[in-house]
Parts: sequence; C-alpha cells; structure tokens
Amino acid sequence: MILTQSTALLVDAYRELNARKLFWITMGLNILVVALFASLGISEQGPTFWHWTFDNPYFNSTTITPELFYKFQFVTWGIPVWLSWVATILALVSTAGIIPDLLSGGSIETMVSKPISRVRLFLSKYTLGLLFATLQVTVFSLGCFLVIWIRGGAIEPSLFIAVPIVIAFYSFLYSFCALMGVLTRSTIAALLITILFWFVVFLVNTADDIVLAQREGVALRVEDTRKNLENQTALTDRRLTQIEETGEAIEDNEGNAIDDPDQRRFAVNPMLRRTTERLEEAEDSLETWNTWTDRVILIKTILPKTQETIGLLSRHMISQEDLTRLMAENAGVEADFETSEDSDVPAMADPRVPQRIEEAKRGRTVAWILGTSFLFELIMVALATTLFARRDF
Amino acid sequence: MTDLAIDITGAQKTYRGKVHALRGVDLRVHKGEVFGLLGPNGAGKSTLVKILMTVIRASTVDGKMLGQPIGDKSTLAHVGYLPEHHRFPDYLKGWQVLDFYGAMAGVPRKERKQRIPEFLDLVGMGEWANKRIKQYSKGMRQRVGLAQALMNKPDLVLLDEPTDGVDPVGRKDIRGICQRLRDEGLTVFINSHLLSELEMVCDRVAILVQGLVSSQGTIDELTSDQRRYQIDLTNPGALEVAAQAAAARFPSGTDTEPARNRLTIPTADPEDIQPVIDALRAAGHTIAGVHAHRPSLEDLFMQAVVDPNTGEVLSPGASSAPRKGARQ
Repeated sequence: MILTQSTALLVDAYRELNARKLFWITMGLNILVVALFASLGISEQGPTFWHWTFDNPYFNSTTITPELFYKFQFVTWGIPVWLSWVATILALVSTAGIIPDLLSGGSIETMVSKPISRVRLFLSKYTLGLLFATLQVTVFSLGCFLVIWIRGGAIEPSLFIAVPIVIAFYSFLYSFCALMGVLTRSTIAALLITILFWFVVFLVNTADDIVLAQREGVALRVEDTRKNLENQTALTDRRLTQIEETGEAIEDNEGNAIDDPDQRRFAVNPMLRRTTERLEEAEDSLETWNTWTDRVILIKTILPKTQETIGLLSRHMISQEDLTRLMAENAGVEADFETSEDSDVPAMADPRVPQRIEEAKRGRTVAWILGTSFLFELIMVALATTLFARRDF
Repeated sequence: MTDLAIDITGAQKTYRGKVHALRGVDLRVHKGEVFGLLGPNGAGKSTLVKILMTVIRASTVDGKMLGQPIGDKSTLAHVGYLPEHHRFPDYLKGWQVLDFYGAMAGVPRKERKQRIPEFLDLVGMGEWANKRIKQYSKGMRQRVGLAQALMNKPDLVLLDEPTDGVDPVGRKDIRGICQRLRDEGLTVFINSHLLSELEMVCDRVAILVQGLVSSQGTIDELTSDQRRYQIDLTNPGALEVAAQAAAARFPSGTDTEPARNRLTIPTADPEDIQPVIDALRAAGHTIAGVHAHRPSLEDLFMQAVVDPNTGEVLSPGASSAPRKGARQ
C-alpha cells in the first residue's frame, strides 16, 4: 500500500506542476542559460561570445585555461547567481503551493481520510517539492557538465556535487516555506514570507561580509604594524647601541637626561612612539571587530547558512591557489600580495583582504555550515509536520 | 462479532473559543443499513462525520467503527467518504480523480483500471471520464466524488450531503445507488438536509440538535407514539357521537375539529377505532373518510428543533460554553 500511495503522490505532484506550466518555463530557462554558457569561450586573443572575440592581453587562454575558465564561470555565475537566486526563486514559486494547496478546504478532507498517516502524507509532499527542484538542478548541472567537457575539454564529474549542495540550500528555504504554508494555508503568503526571510538571511550574510572584511582588514593592519614595530625597534636598538658606544647623552627637550629605556628609544626614534600607538589602536579595533564577528556568527549559527552552503561548491571545484590567482588577475594586481607594505593604504583597500576573507570563509567547517543548517531545516519540518498532524480540518 | 458498523458513545468536540460542537453523542449504525443523520445547520453533523474519518480529533470519544477504535487509520481502507464541500484538483480528469484517490485508499493499479470505468458508469459519468474536473458542473463533481468514495469497495460509505447541487434526476440516481449498495451488503451513512430524500432511502435515522442526538431509530419507531387515525364526518351530530364513543376508550383525550367535522384519535392500532365506527354506524351517520396518519420526517425534525418550553425554533449552531461569570 505504501508504494501504491507514494507512486500516486508522485504522479499527482507531476500533474500539478505540469498544470502550472511554471515548472516547464523554469526548465526552459535552465536550458537557455546553459546555451548562453556554451556560447561563452576563451581564445588566445581573449574572451569570446558566439563568433565575436574581445581582445584582452590579460585575460585569454594563455593566462587561464579553457577548463578553468568554464569552471570559474560555473562557480561564480552559474551557481551563485543563476541556481542560487533566479532558479531558486522560480523553484520556490513552482513548489510553494504544494503544501497550501494540500491544506485548502475541500481537498484536505479527502486526503486525510485515506489510510495514510498524516506525517507520511506531509513528508511525502515535502519530499516531492524537493524532488522537482532536484530535477531542475540536475538538468542545469548536466548541461554545464557537457559544456565544460565539449568546450573546456575537461571531464568534470565532480560538478554534479552542485546537485546536493544546491538542493540542500533550496531545502533550507523550502522547509521554512512549508512551515509558513501550514501556518497561513496561502501560497502567496508563504512565498512572500519566505522571500522576506531569505532577505533577512541575506542581510545577516551581508553583515557577516562587512564585519569579516573589517576584522580581516584590521587584523592585517595589526600584523603589518607589529612587523613594522619590530623593524623599527631593532633599528632603534642598533642606533641606541651606537649612541651608548660614543657616550653621547640622550636628553629631552629641556636638556634633562632620559633614563627610562622606552623613553630613550622614543627619543632616538620618534616614529617608534607613533607606531606603538597605532598598534594599540589597531589592537583595540581588532578586539571590537572580533566581538562583532562573534555576534554575527552566533546569529548565523541559528539561521540556515545559504551563502556558505553555496560556497562549498567553489571550495570543492576551485582550489585556494587557483582562486587566489584568478582573484589577482581579476583585480589586475600581482599575485604576490606579501610585497604590499604601504601602511597608509586603508585596511579595506588592501588587496590581501579579499583573499583573507575567502580564507576565513573557507576555514568554516562543513560540519558547522551543513550541520546547523540541516538542524534548522529539521526544526522547521518537525514544526510543520506536528502542526499538520495535530490540526483539525 | 458485533453487527454494528458504527458504535460510538459520548463523542464530544470542543473547538477553540469553547464552542461545543458535540456534547456527548451516542450513535449506533447497523451493518447493511442506510442510516441518515439529520439536523439543522451547525448541529454538529459534519463534525461527527469528520471525527469518524480522522479529519478532526474528538475531545473525547469512546467507540468503534467496523470493529476498530475510532481514529484507527487502517480502518479507513474499508471506508468510503464523500466530504460535504469537497474540491478535487482542477487539473485532474474524471478518471484521474478515481485513479488517484483509489490509489490513496490502497487499491492496486490493476484493480483501479478495472474499477474506474465501472464506477464512472455507475454514477453516469462514463462519457466524461477524459474531461477535466474544471469543466464539470457541481452535480457532476458530486457524482465523481461518490464514485471515488466507492473505489476501494468499502464496507461502509459516509456521504456528507451527497445530493448537494444535484438535479432531481441525479438525486434519484444517487438514491438508487445507495439502495444498491445496501443490497450488496454495504452500510451507507448519509448526512443530509434533504429530509424527503432521507425518508425515501434510510432504514434508520438520528436527529442531531445542538451537538446532541435527540432521537434515533427507524422512522416507524420514532413515529410510533405520534401515529393517529383521523375520521372525517359529514355533520356536527356525527362528530359528537364519535367523540363520546372515543372518550370512553381514550381517557387521555381525542382531538375534535368542528370546522372540518374531524375527529383525531391517538392510536396506531386499527382495532382501537372500530368501536367508534360501530357507534357511528349504529346511529346511522355517514363516514366520509378514515385516514391513518403517520408524521413525516420533517414533522419529527421540526419537533426536535423546536424548544418544547417556548415553542420557538432553537438557535442554529452548536452551543457555546457559558461565559465566565454569566448566570446559569
């Protein structure tokens, strides 16, 4: 009986989505985007689109292999922009009605009066929503796999990791949407509240980016200033030794001899005092930004990690070294950032900051990213299922 | 083994806001009968059916349906249900409705394929099998709803307002289907406002008023103490003779209507009126007519919904709990 019922629910969900047309519109758009992706290319002269070539001496197949070019486009545009935004919104619109339609008057009574437990009925409907989103992502990923293979010359089966990752990302939102569907029984309300929730998550992610950038910028400044201070201290100590060897006195502005070792250093090298003060300021600032980073991380812990989940894909497909090089080429600067020692450059403008941010984000564990996000989803689904199972219709 | 398809005691349902939809319903439905549940709007009829079908949960209920406790999901594989305001998805065709809900009731695919044309023909919708539900009239949807309720070949069918929106021909068809189901040994439970429909098809009825069963039994049982004979005469003298003859036999009283020269005697036994007829004959009076009168289901219904103390119709809907601090 379970198989009969599950098959019937699957067929019915297909009929429902088929009737809405939006499923096929989304599928068509996915194929169109894959076609556009295939239209892009890179030659020795520069990037290409169809038969047009855009000459670029810094960005061509001698600086980036076609394989890496397509992979980079896939993880920087295909996943975070198309699948994570546009296709996700379309998928939510397609599937947001599954739960509210189940609950609508006249429909639910016939369903719950059948010999199927409410928990199984709800979870089946929920899973079907995810299944149809999975179909969309699979088609897109398959198309991109073929493009990278045919146009980039690389067989990249690991690309299909996009399917579980994007579905995990989608499921975090869909679980919230399902709960809202149970609470409001309205497709429009569930969809709008979910998009609002997504916006809140986006704001938290933006706050995370800002706080992280500030922290890394300040941390970099602390490191640079500390290094600078060590150099200046060494220089000053050498100068002090020379002075002491000559027996020359070190006096303050009023002609009094200075005995305190630190004051003697500052007298010999006035820059040392300024650098010390700058280090103290930077360390205070770092402490403040560390506190804010911890607060944002705490908020993020209870929310689904949409950004980081999608980021797992770029982690998987592009190594930190490749990413560093691509970011450097995009920024038009040399890859060796360690040479930059201009202390007057504002922290955020330091080209090493994006790299450190990326490193910090990549340092967040998969267990934290997925574990807490799935916990969020579990709570949403458990709440929705409990409400559905206990409600009178 | 019990011969009861439904046997419930003390079914109560209190909604949020302390609205008492059911206040302790006792109900017994025998296997193989057509049972009618009637009552005014908001009396709790649909609530009771929904409790049986696990659509809502009773606050308290003790009893069984088809020998299993109320709320047992597996029992529903043997029960068919047509909800009152059902709405099948517009994107489904007629045969797909039966296929989907049949599958949800656990009917294997092979059997569904056999039963779909059979039941669509039964409800007169065979020619509409490949049309989408959105093209159906209300009556057509009701017919398809009835067919889906039968897809699992149930032992018990609960029909909530089955003739709602159905034309007279359709009503006759549905009555015929109910009788056919009974003849095949199924138990049919009908929830309806249409008293004349119920009267024609039901073996037993229950009247639900303000969340309580006011009476239940066969229509004969329910009307036995209200049956009477009416004797129509031609002149006031004859009425006087008849009244005197009846008074000796019925000390509790008879009813005379001088304007119509009619005597009403409260009895269902024809033997009881023979002495009155004999007296009239002996006095040489003409008897215009003798009628056995049985109250209709509508009469019973109206008696049930009228407050015996005030003579006013009871307010519709289930009762609310008294407000805190209100006078009892």
